[in-house]
Amino acid sequence: MSIPDPKSGQSRATIFIHRPDISRLVEKYAFVGLLIAAAIFFSFFTPTAETFPSQANIRTLITGNIVVAIVALAALIPLVCEEFDLSVGAIAGLSSIFVADYLSGGGSIGVACVIGIGLGLVIGGLNAFLITVVGVNSVITTLGTSIIIAGIISQKTGGRAISGGIPRELIQFGTGTVYGLPTLAIALILAGMATWYLLEHTPFGRQLYAYGSNRSAAVLVGIRTKFVLSTSFVLAGMLAGAAGILQVARAGGADPRVGDSFTLPALAAAFLSAAVLQPGRYNVAGTIVAIYFLATLNSGLNLAGAPPYINYYVNGAALIVGVALAVAFSRRK
Amino acid sequence: MTQAILRLTENTAAVSDAAILRATGISKAFGATQALDLVDFSLQRGSIHALLGGNGAGKSTLIKVFAGVQHADSGQLDLAGRTLDARLVRPANVHQLGMRFVHQQNATFPSLSIIENMALGSGFITGRTGQIDWKRQRARTVSLLEHYGIAANPDDRISDISPAKKKMVEIARALQDIDGAGDAVLVLDEPTASLPTTEVDLLLDALRSYAAAGQAIIYVTHRLEEVFAIADAATVLRNGRHVATLDPRRITPDHLIEHMMGKAVSLARKPEPRPTGQTLLALDRYQVKNLQPVSLHVMEGEVVGIAGLIGSGRTRFLKGLFGGFSAVSGTMHIRGQSITLNGISDAVRAGIAYVPEDRVADALFGKLSIADNSAISGFGRFWNGWRLRKFAELAEMSRLIDEFLIKAAGPDAAITSLSGGNQQKVVLARWMRLKPSLLLLDEPTQGVDVGARAEIYHLIDRAVAAGSAAIVVSSDFEELVSHCDRVVIMRNGALIGEVIGDQVTVENLNMMANA
Repeated sequence: MSIPDPKSGQSRATIFIHRPDISRLVEKYAFVGLLIAAAIFFSFFTPTAETFPSQANIRTLITGNIVVAIVALAALIPLVCEEFDLSVGAIAGLSSIFVADYLSGGGSIGVACVIGIGLGLVIGGLNAFLITVVGVNSVITTLGTSIIIAGIISQKTGGRAISGGIPRELIQFGTGTVYGLPTLAIALILAGMATWYLLEHTPFGRQLYAYGSNRSAAVLVGIRTKFVLSTSFVLAGMLAGAAGILQVARAGGADPRVGDSFTLPALAAAFLSAAVLQPGRYNVAGTIVAIYFLATLNSGLNLAGAPPYINYYVNGAALIVGVALAVAFSRRK
Repeated sequence: MTQAILRLTENTAAVSDAAILRATGISKAFGATQALDLVDFSLQRGSIHALLGGNGAGKSTLIKVFAGVQHADSGQLDLAGRTLDARLVRPANVHQLGMRFVHQQNATFPSLSIIENMALGSGFITGRTGQIDWKRQRARTVSLLEHYGIAANPDDRISDISPAKKKMVEIARALQDIDGAGDAVLVLDEPTASLPTTEVDLLLDALRSYAAAGQAIIYVTHRLEEVFAIADAATVLRNGRHVATLDPRRITPDHLIEHMMGKAVSLARKPEPRPTGQTLLALDRYQVKNLQPVSLHVMEGEVVGIAGLIGSGRTRFLKGLFGGFSAVSGTMHIRGQSITLNGISDAVRAGIAYVPEDRVADALFGKLSIADNSAISGFGRFWNGWRLRKFAELAEMSRLIDEFLIKAAGPDAAITSLSGGNQQKVVLARWMRLKPSLLLLDEPTQGVDVGARAEIYHLIDRAVAAGSAAIVVSSDFEELVSHCDRVVIMRNGALIGEVIGDQVTVENLNMMANA
């Protein structure tokens, strides 16, 4: 890269011009390409050529992964600080159970939303307290709270799914369409835009990235680091809680195991985002691309008749590859 | 290993020379810089030989040549009766011949016992099945503690013993596989740098007794009083040359400093006297935790230096003024307004800026761009209430790149793509764009080349001329002399004096900081 002479008048013009060379383009769009390649492959691969590109499957693929995509956005916020929140899946599950339970007892949707998001706020707040005030490592803290949540869910449900009695309006919201677009997709777009706005367009977001890059320097430029980190966990909890409400809307009830099934793909996607679109930087669009990349892979493999355990291989490998790529990109920078 | 050492002992016994180490004609150049120029050095058995010189004198290069980590361009080492070519020496060679190093940084494991710390230096003694033979390990540690006069229990954790004893454990650990005191060269690099005064005396006493038992010691230090307290000889390097080898018992401190600094020092450029305004910073018996109360007034338009050695409290004091440590007592006023610092964000709000000593660890956001690195100190007018105006921000950052003479591809370039000096200018721009009242600069030119160094001081001068003030900490006293209006001296956590006007000379600063 040439260095413009700071004294010459020319430099101003060149400063805003990015010269994307091939390797940088490949880095940025590799995963988008992989997503498209996977979709094309399963559309023409004989065992899945009929089922995969069908309208029904595409719709299931999209709507079926919206909740987990929002859970991944929740995991993304503390991850920008390089702190891990393993409890986002559990929080979404807890929220869905209590929301469904309340609604099936005849409760109002408004109060149910307060319950769902409020639970996320409480757990997120507890995580934040343990991590920033008590000083427990974030992995341990959120692993611990997620296990406790699993206990609460088990105690509450006895392992049985809650179904029936969910208000029709909510189910309609969860399964309906607006101008042909699933209503839930609009919810994901809104959640994605809100997170993107927070991370990229507010001083708070910049402070999160600064914290993630160098904690000590963040303290020394006057960032209130404990506040910033706490807020990231609280926001993650609230977003995961909101995802739990959407899960009830989509499924018309709540399954006690659903939270667990979110955890791995959500974290894998959040990690992979550092290898998508903005290499070396965890980001919203990358997270969503990664979620749908994993979903396409899993859906295609299932349709091709692969046994269900293959999905574990895919998600686990994606988690490791995501972290490895993130490390590789940040090291090279 | 033991056998090799024994054989060497026989060899050396045959040589009727008391010198265990003799270096002849050592030269080493790094590019155009001649770090060592035909340096001679000779160390007698049972003596403590101080190695002195200012920054860049060549002390550490010489030590690295001794260690075999740095290959000399020419020269010869005679070590324990063997002649080695200084161009080819490897660390394993000199280690086998009894060269041992204890570095300035603490290299003990605080949460482990003395036994474990000793064993981690030389390998655990194991039994037949590979298990640690704790009984023999303990016996060996007990005898080492006894031999090196360390009054401690082998089971004590390192974190529970005093700093001087820690250093002695490090020395014992380094020397534990040497059979006789006369068979090794012990190199101590600034061993007292992190010790409180009372502990220094304990360590010096111990070193004296080791030397009396025949141990040869090379003692690298900045603290001249220690040279006079324990050294049998002192070799002074300056600009890579051997200036003199002196007997500390026959010379005065002034004499020694003169040798260290040379005559050229007094020629250091004095800054033009700057017009000063009203009092900007007023500290009245302001006491940062763990330091002494400090009273200090700094005027608008003034650059005040703090001269002190490592461990004098200079860095802690500066960080304390930035709210990094709480104040125990006293008051701080900025432009007449009383300031209470409960944290760093209070200091930033009060218009204080701080450039830390360790740029990579404490100042840079390595993953972020130049723009992000400089905007992070405050988004101010880029934040219009609901979003950051990125274009305004980038435009401002492009302007800063010009204004602060930063050589960069653009505001979006990664901070890590810049040289050290340009990174430091980004750190300065980060604060100076906020027009702070008070700049606190800790080693602002560390790891920065000469050209960028001048530019950095030019930027500081410009900010000060616009009505702020700066406090500069530097180990490089020449730098303080040429850029500060006055210099206060810090020692043992207290301001012990001040030099102003013509009195600001490297000799005076050295005298007071070391006294």
